[in-house]
Amino acid sequence: MRTPPANGPDSPGIPPLALRRMLAASRRQFVTAAVLLFTLVAVSIANPAFLSGQNLRDLLVQSAPVVIVGCGMTLVILIGEIDISVGSLLGLLAALMGVLASPQRLGLPIPLVIAGVLVAGAAIGLLNGLLVTRGRVPSIIATLGMLTVLRGVTELVMGGEWITNLPPSLRWFGTGSSLGFPFSLWVAAAVAMAIFALARFAPLGIRILAIGGNPDAAAIARISVPRTKLLVFALVGLLTGVAAVIAVPQQSVIESGIGAGFELVVVTAVVVGGTSIRGGYGGVVGTILAALLLGSIRTTLVFLDLGESAVYWERAIQGAFILVAVLADHLASRPGPDDSLAGARA
Amino acid sequence: MTGRDRAARVHFGVLAGLALILFGFAAWLEPSFIAPATQRDLSLHAFELALLALPMTCIIVSGGIDLSVGSICALAAVVMGLLHEAGAPIWAACIAAIGAGAVTGALNGAFIAALRVHPLIVTLATMAAFRGLAEGLSRARPISGFPPEFTRLGEGYSLGLPIPILALAIISLAAGLALSRTSWGCWMYAIGSNERGARYAGLPVDRIKIALYACSGTAAALAGIVFAARRNTAKADIGSGLELEVITAVVLGGTSIFGGRGSIAGTLLGVLIIHETRELVSWHWHHDELILLVTGTILVASVLLNNLASRRAD
Repeated sequence: MRTPPANGPDSPGIPPLALRRMLAASRRQFVTAAVLLFTLVAVSIANPAFLSGQNLRDLLVQSAPVVIVGCGMTLVILIGEIDISVGSLLGLLAALMGVLASPQRLGLPIPLVIAGVLVAGAAIGLLNGLLVTRGRVPSIIATLGMLTVLRGVTELVMGGEWITNLPPSLRWFGTGSSLGFPFSLWVAAAVAMAIFALARFAPLGIRILAIGGNPDAAAIARISVPRTKLLVFALVGLLTGVAAVIAVPQQSVIESGIGAGFELVVVTAVVVGGTSIRGGYGGVVGTILAALLLGSIRTTLVFLDLGESAVYWERAIQGAFILVAVLADHLASRPGPDDSLAGARA
Repeated sequence: MTGRDRAARVHFGVLAGLALILFGFAAWLEPSFIAPATQRDLSLHAFELALLALPMTCIIVSGGIDLSVGSICALAAVVMGLLHEAGAPIWAACIAAIGAGAVTGALNGAFIAALRVHPLIVTLATMAAFRGLAEGLSRARPISGFPPEFTRLGEGYSLGLPIPILALAIISLAAGLALSRTSWGCWMYAIGSNERGARYAGLPVDRIKIALYACSGTAAALAGIVFAARRNTAKADIGSGLELEVITAVVLGGTSIFGGRGSIAGTLLGVLIIHETRELVSWHWHHDELILLVTGTILVASVLLNNLASRRAD
């Protein structure tokens, strides 16, 4: 229900819905960036040790897996679906990596281990996509089922034991550096830039936005909706594999609980970053900023020196961040008539 | 009979058949497992799942979802434990904890109804916030030392049945009647099928939503207290992952995740299948990981089969 411009095309009329939505998304990215900057500056003033290179590097390294999977999850949510199985998938891929690499189990060469993890991640993502497109199972149900199944498979594979002796050449992927920066940061930066370019400039990105905005219209425009969805689900699986390759070797021990609750942190980062949970608008930049913001909460609590019990409030603050983001969004803009009465569809 | 009714009946029939096969298999595999005394004792383990599945069914029927129930369990248990530790009488502490559950649930509802934010986002946020509140308040330490009359609440017997299960039977009956026989129940289906239409028809959509989430919070608080009573410990990690189990049971029971379709009877059947599978697997194989594998497979397979059945019916 938009009013046409009053005095010809040049007058500042009410912008069309799509433009308003784009502005809303970029405003949320701006707000996220501002909050992140404010947090960093405030903590640095309170405790200058926060700005040490080592601390900032740790912060970035901890956030890298959320950034990597968050980029894929942004695409999944943009297309109007969701994948809550990524945490269990990360756990399964960690177990797989341990079994493939550990000298006591299979002891395969490192390139094969990494290829195996990436292929398995993409294959399980593809399976999610097939359940959604071919099986017509709603994505939240399909991936909820996979969340449970994959966790069960992980525990069967691990058999209640820990895998401890990862070869040093594999540990390098988690702890090593090249050109002065941790390897995991290079990977995260490369993934972020690739997905940003893909979402913004490639035809696939436009197709994803079109399907998320209106799947029926996209189908009429001859976009292959199932194929695009399959691709996006496979991509998030592949990226979970990438995250496993850089995150799992950081620890010296692989246990079956790795990745529990990871899916919620990733979805939170996407939502706080301004991507609409109904699909159709949003972007990768907001997700990356939000992932850094969520990752900095714990470090911030430690460096503000509020006493040892402060870290117990980390999750409460994470939750409050989302509520505040949602509230700010609501106060800043009255939703249009199309949004206000829309039914609740995940 | 419309295609939808037919599909729902087919699904219910498939589930009932599955439950019968499960019991038959259990009788063949472990005769002692299906003895009434065993079943009575094991039924205690289903209490939290079943109690939370009732309001969750109503919420999903009305087109929403509540991910925060597991966290409210923990928050209520911690509130109860801390108050008792501070010297409050145990029953007063319980009532305060249930009140806290109702308030936190209503808060979910208010965010969803007044701000028109997607319930998945709101309850994802409060899931973290309430669990964080429980961790912050209790500093993540276990609280114990409850009086025996309180712990009896979790595992005492009355009329030959465990007290929580008796309470559950009454609450289930009430929820079933409310959803299928009252105008409020009818409105929930209306909101879930077409929220805009329900608003234009003048239904008090916002009030119903707030009431539903408040009910869900109250039930979660009750579940958290009973769980703490059974373990004689209140801790901030109570009920983690419970929300996903509850949703699994509800969806397995034939409630559409998009709203507008579902029933309490179906949900109870879903809870029964998940509960019996879980107990049988850990009774016979002592493998908890198999439970996850089987539960997840049943969930996806039941929805897939349901889709195939409804495609035939169309």
